[in-house]
Amino acid sequence: MIEVQALHKHFSSGRGRHLRVVLAVAGVDFTAANGCITGLLGANGAGKTTTLRIAAALIEPDAGRVLVDGIEVAAQPTQALARMGMLSDARGLYPRLTARENIVYFGRLHGMDDGAAQARAQALAEVLDMKPLLDRRTEGFSQGERMKTALARALVHDPANIVLDEPTNGLDVLATRALRDTLRRLRDEHGKCIVFSTHIMQEVERLCDHVVVVAHGRTVAVGGVAALMAQAQCSDFEEAFVKLAFEPLGAQPSAQSGGRP
Amino acid sequence: MIAAAWTVYRKELLDALRDRRTLFMVLISSVAIGPLVLMLVSSLVAGIEKRAEARELVVKGIEHAPTLNNFLLRQTYTVRAAPAGFEQALRDSKLGEPVLVVPATFEADLARGEAPVLELVSSAANQRAQTGTGAVLRLVRAFNQEQATLRLAVRGVAPAVLEAVRVEERDLADPATRAAQLATMVPFFVLMAVLYGALNAALDTTAGERERGSLEPLLMNPAARLSIVLGKWGAVASVGMLIAVLSCLSFLPGQWLLRSEALAAMFRFGVGEALAFMALLLPLAGALAALLMAIAIRCKSFKEAQANTTVVLLTVSMLPLVTVFNQEGTAPWHLWVPALAQTTLMGRVLKGEQMAWVDVGTATLVCVLLTLAALAYVTRTLRSAALK
Repeated sequence: MIEVQALHKHFSSGRGRHLRVVLAVAGVDFTAANGCITGLLGANGAGKTTTLRIAAALIEPDAGRVLVDGIEVAAQPTQALARMGMLSDARGLYPRLTARENIVYFGRLHGMDDGAAQARAQALAEVLDMKPLLDRRTEGFSQGERMKTALARALVHDPANIVLDEPTNGLDVLATRALRDTLRRLRDEHGKCIVFSTHIMQEVERLCDHVVVVAHGRTVAVGGVAALMAQAQCSDFEEAFVKLAFEPLGAQPSAQSGGRP
Repeated sequence: MIAAAWTVYRKELLDALRDRRTLFMVLISSVAIGPLVLMLVSSLVAGIEKRAEARELVVKGIEHAPTLNNFLLRQTYTVRAAPAGFEQALRDSKLGEPVLVVPATFEADLARGEAPVLELVSSAANQRAQTGTGAVLRLVRAFNQEQATLRLAVRGVAPAVLEAVRVEERDLADPATRAAQLATMVPFFVLMAVLYGALNAALDTTAGERERGSLEPLLMNPAARLSIVLGKWGAVASVGMLIAVLSCLSFLPGQWLLRSEALAAMFRFGVGEALAFMALLLPLAGALAALLMAIAIRCKSFKEAQANTTVVLLTVSMLPLVTVFNQEGTAPWHLWVPALAQTTLMGRVLKGEQMAWVDVGTATLVCVLLTLAALAYVTRTLRSAALK
């Protein structure tokens, strides 16, 4: 389970007269339950990636906290990271290593011994349908093949919580469908807590049990797809999203009041 | 922590060794070039020696100067007539000796006491001919001296009257020191080899990792940042050290190929010297690896890192010049500057001097401190670097 509570983060650049302050996250709140796929839906620059980076202990929040299975990330990053698999938007592989070596390397860094990491790489290759790729160098992999390898790498320590930042970016239809199937299986067969961020409505409609709409750095609506459409009084999910995300002064009960910072 | 560092170390080393083409280029350029230059110099020196042994002088119009010819023969020189069109041959570097041109009126002028003009023809662009001019000039001067002495003696003047001051040259350099002059380039090549050996790996594990987008996922592992940095540094330093060892050893067979016997006798680089070089270079390889990583971690791409590390490359390659230009010998501060200290101490090894443990200790200590500072910086910067 991942709990994000009242998260705030600003970035500043430049000095003196050139000082620019950007409020990236200004009150993101949500809970992602086990055995459930939670979608973090928001436009570009809404604060999704920053939120997930805070969850992965890459950035420290100004205020608020992230709990992974009850462990506070900022206070105990090592323990929290051990319970979390993260596929970030940077998913570079080592081109001179094979897919297997890429996966096993991260397994070893998670403290697994060589045998366990090798076995896990094999098992993941079957789950992700990438067995023929395992012993090829990742140089020259297609986007879909890269994504599978990066996902396997993120899941090598069999984490209870899986966080994916825009995982379908650059994937074709088949690869996207395969990823969706994989995520469903991870949810249904393994009871994982899955959080994934996206700006694609279709993804959310087809996959998510629970949706968190983020706009201007804050959570503006939470609920299932049907519930959100009902809340926005729209029959189309895209319309509902636009209404929820970009009309913050509307009368939605879960939308937080207040204009831009 | 050690386990994670070891994992990173093994992966980075494997990664670096798989980069065959780069590794091959580094090996060729850094390990092979030293002995190659040594052989070129040796063949040049062998050529000069051969010419010196030949004691041959190229003269145009020797038939006009029987006195000079007599002098030359007494000095056991063989006089060779200049070929036709020797000026063009000198210009084209086809003729390797300078040509002494004797005017037709030489003998008559000499007899009348009117100094005849000898012309020494050479070309500044013709390296081989140019090196021969010194010997010819000395020879002509000796002839001059002899003639003057004879004239003074005829007039009853002691030749010593003309010599207010006498100069005697005394060369204090023993053969080992003279060899070190030639061998000053060896530390330079070895130093460059270490630097270029470590460069690629250092950039690849930092700026390269950043550019690939694999640094962020790497930092999302529960491994401590320090162990990641230590593992990376260990791998880079290992590559640098490997190159250092290889390039030190490469001078051993290179020496057997020396064509000049005198040179081979002078250039002393045996197993002992190679080991001393390695002892000096290994800490430096570590320090340079850390320094390059510290500079490259700030850069977003491999290319940017290459541009930024040029400063280090330039500094390290210029530092040996301090020892060349410095007129006051080795200053104490030389031993506190990394790379310069190693160059100085390697020079001492080649001169056959005893190395003081204090000096070696100082140089090593500076390297260790530099390594620690650079690694601390990399560890501190790693996280912000991952986020671009």
